[in-house]
Amino acid sequence: MTWAKRALGSEHLAGWAFVAPAVILIGLFGIFPIVWSGVISFQANDLTSPPHGVGFANYRALAKDPAFRTAAKHTLIYTVLFVPISIAGAMAIAVALNRRIRGIRFYRLAVFIPVVTSTVATGIVFLWLLDPTFGLVNWILHGLGLPQQKFLQDPNQALYCIVAMTVWSWLGFDVIIYLAALQGIPRDLLEAAEIDGASKWSSFRTIVVPLLGPATLFLTVWSTINALQLFDEIYVTTRGGPLSSTTVIVYYLYQQAFQFFNGGYGAAIAYVLFVAILIVTVIQLWVGNRRVHYSS
Amino acid sequence: MTTEPLLGVPPQQFRLDPPPEEPRRRRLPFSPWHLALMPIAAVMLLPLVWMVAVSLETDAQSHAFPPLLFPKSFQFENYKTAFNAVPFAHFFLNSLLYSLTTVAGNLLFCSLAAYAFARMRFRGSNILFVVFLATLMVPFQVLIIPTFLIVKHLGMVDSVGGLIVPNLCNAFGIFLLRQFFRTLPIELEEAARIDGTSRLGILFKIVLPLSLPALATLGIIQFMWSWNDFLWPLIIINSDTHAPLQLGLSMFQGAHAQHWNLLMAATVMSQLPMLIVFLFAQRWFVQSLAFSGMKQ
Amino acid sequence: MKRRGIAAFAALVLAAASVAAGCGGSGKSSSSSSSAASTGPSGHVSITLWHGYTDAEQKAINTLASEFNATHKNITVTPHFYGNSDFALQKVLTAIAGGKPPDLAYLYGSWAANIAKSPKTVDLNEFINREKATFNWNDFWPAEREAATVNGKVVGFPALVDNLALVYNKKMFADAGLSPPTPDWTWSDFENAALKLTNPAQKKFGWAYVADGSEDTVWRYWALLWQAGGQILSPDGKKAAFDSPAGVKAMSLIQRLAQAKAIYNDNGNQNYLGLFASNHIGMLFTGPWDLTQIQDGGAAYGVQILPGDQNHQTISGPDNWVMFDNGDARKQASWEFLKWLSSPEIDLKWDILTGALPVRAATLKQPDYRQFLDKYPGVGVWADNLKNATQVRPVIASYPKISSAVGESVVSVLLGKAQPQQALSSASQKTNSILAVPG
Repeated sequence: MTWAKRALGSEHLAGWAFVAPAVILIGLFGIFPIVWSGVISFQANDLTSPPHGVGFANYRALAKDPAFRTAAKHTLIYTVLFVPISIAGAMAIAVALNRRIRGIRFYRLAVFIPVVTSTVATGIVFLWLLDPTFGLVNWILHGLGLPQQKFLQDPNQALYCIVAMTVWSWLGFDVIIYLAALQGIPRDLLEAAEIDGASKWSSFRTIVVPLLGPATLFLTVWSTINALQLFDEIYVTTRGGPLSSTTVIVYYLYQQAFQFFNGGYGAAIAYVLFVAILIVTVIQLWVGNRRVHYSS
Repeated sequence: MTTEPLLGVPPQQFRLDPPPEEPRRRRLPFSPWHLALMPIAAVMLLPLVWMVAVSLETDAQSHAFPPLLFPKSFQFENYKTAFNAVPFAHFFLNSLLYSLTTVAGNLLFCSLAAYAFARMRFRGSNILFVVFLATLMVPFQVLIIPTFLIVKHLGMVDSVGGLIVPNLCNAFGIFLLRQFFRTLPIELEEAARIDGTSRLGILFKIVLPLSLPALATLGIIQFMWSWNDFLWPLIIINSDTHAPLQLGLSMFQGAHAQHWNLLMAATVMSQLPMLIVFLFAQRWFVQSLAFSGMKQ
Repeated sequence: MKRRGIAAFAALVLAAASVAAGCGGSGKSSSSSSSAASTGPSGHVSITLWHGYTDAEQKAINTLASEFNATHKNITVTPHFYGNSDFALQKVLTAIAGGKPPDLAYLYGSWAANIAKSPKTVDLNEFINREKATFNWNDFWPAEREAATVNGKVVGFPALVDNLALVYNKKMFADAGLSPPTPDWTWSDFENAALKLTNPAQKKFGWAYVADGSEDTVWRYWALLWQAGGQILSPDGKKAAFDSPAGVKAMSLIQRLAQAKAIYNDNGNQNYLGLFASNHIGMLFTGPWDLTQIQDGGAAYGVQILPGDQNHQTISGPDNWVMFDNGDARKQASWEFLKWLSSPEIDLKWDILTGALPVRAATLKQPDYRQFLDKYPGVGVWADNLKNATQVRPVIASYPKISSAVGESVVSVLLGKAQPQQALSSASQKTNSILAVPG
């Protein structure tokens, strides 16, 4: 069909025309700085005096650095917990919020508020909630007859507290994406299933969840990218402590670059992280594209 | 025509009406869903409650530990003091300009690119998509200095332009919209192509109107990022005339001994627009008519 | 590490006026304040000063800058608030990298060794040596001068000096039947008092310690180390010396109090202020920056020098004005401003406005010095205590890494995860590897 041939032939030009603005903007402000910092990773750069090249020395040091390995371990534990919990939780809450009962706007707003609340305020409040002596949570535990915990002051508990705090903070973000996605689910599909006698749960499982596939894939990739780059919440609460138990990769990078003035080393850390995230994302997309169904 | 019109009406006559009411029998004065949603909302709102309480207290009370969730005093003049202590209105306008332009830019440029990735086949598109995604994978701390140098070469240091331009197109938006576009029924677009509509026309007349929830989501998120942005304005802005809100708020934050009551009053005022934007945009979290009459 | 700041009532009309009036102000003009052209017509020079002052201090710097501008017709100083001082370094480094540094910037003293490496940082010796007849560098406290000198280069001009003293809650002392601390207090007196003031059932603690592992955690330990007669590094600066018996003794004091649950571990948010105000914490090691908040908190408080062991040494955390090279004219103008700002008269004015300690000895001899003491009850103890700040932390580029290692060891003892000797040995091993790297 000449129509198809014509369409395919002009597709390339049209395609590139559509992405052109993005290519320019992202190329300039995204790609170029990334390449630049790659150059820095091959330097000894203390951000003050003129730098000099050191080849792969930073990367070799990184391979032998036990503190980096520990930071990587913490990051992995955090990510493996944060991503599934926040996505599953968000799906459940989005379904709960996808109805027209009175006051639903208020509930939606309430769920979204933590996303918007400044990280500083969130940090202060959680530090208080989890304070071993004066905090609300220990007060509740005391009332229930359970033993007091040290939470953010216990090296064995701190990371899990951070998981809880960040899930709380980011749930609303995932929820609004799921809410938007839920609008695309044809209501008569669900009604037909109901007529056929399917339970709410099974129609949720067999209809809603698969149709939310694209959103779930998106949130999995996005949450993973973010979890692997966790920083702000650590900065406003534990600063990597107690005893480095919450030092994750980006926090370690920040210490190296801006507290210890090892700019080149920090850039090398960023690059190793970047490659790791890239690999993980590509795998997720590949698996996702095979299992996720798009157009109905 | 071999295919039934898949809507009740041709695409151009599609309107965003409020969805039909649920059948009368489901309208209880008190839905059981409230029982699930209220505790969730309470947990989500805790920091905001703390922020508001502190904002109404005296300075000494604001440092009470454990914090008072029910303010002992109601110093509403804290809001007035905070508003007058810094050029609040000015910062507010700068933030508004920054946020609205980045939202507009992202909605436009990301839609164009996302549509190309979702529906058009062009050489190099897969690699380009991954390259775009890669820009999300490097922590910003590492990119600060190179980005600053680029903006300096463009002559935009210490201007609102310097704030805006690096943030006009974010790979996040491209990824999000691509996922949503791919869930739309392709038959609509194919029908329009057969009718001779250009690709651009399809995007603006068919795809975007059907993607309002996704666009609203992207709008909210981008607005939030720009509105809450602190690190980039810190680096790029030197003068009060161009400072956006979060940067201006740091005037309330010494490293030690902060006036938390004023800081929280300022923070509450600064987060209000976010919540208004959310309330406004969540109107589009409504199932579009396009999907209510779908046949398989 | 010294951290300052109070909260904001910024007189921004004044600031806006200064920005508008200063011809080099970083406002609408596209060639911003740090461009190469340094003198305008008839030799007028404009300089910018970046600071993180909030509240009373911000008002003060703006007032004083205006006063300077009015009395020095050929120089205009434009103060600019850069945000929280914690971010100052990032901002300054970026500005240098972009070729547009300010003329003067307020930077924490702990960054001195690192900022010294920048070719743009001015060695103030050129001015100090040139003006020996009229400018008395030795009038500034030894701790300040040492903290600003890196390998013989003077990279900072004293902007702020402080020290740690003991602040105690009078009501809690009275309730526990304790007599208030005296200048002769020993560690045993301190320990006994802390234990007596502690009451877990009532959630009361004898002492608060900043336990976030940062320099805030470390510098309090250094004071104890020095009091026990210890040193941080060996005299040649090549090895750690803090794991000596003196160091273990100091760490053991902390351990005993931690085990007795007499210490409130503050996470860095200064919750101890609210707790002190509500009579839950009996004693603090803190500095004059907390004074206003302690007063506002309402608890009856007293100030005394730190309890001692072999001596009553304290530690000081001076911060600096760092000058950057934007040409000779601007350097000279910046120097003029610094001299003026630190002159005994103006220094006293600053102290009265902000509660800061005098940066030089001559200020204490000013006729109006009494005003300062009266306005801030207790501040005199800190001012007098400056003579006990006889040592400084090593002013070397690798200090932040050493601080991090020692911070972890203090926290591990506070949390009961390590014995003092063990914690100190691990920190000293790390320190020795850090020091082994040249530069």
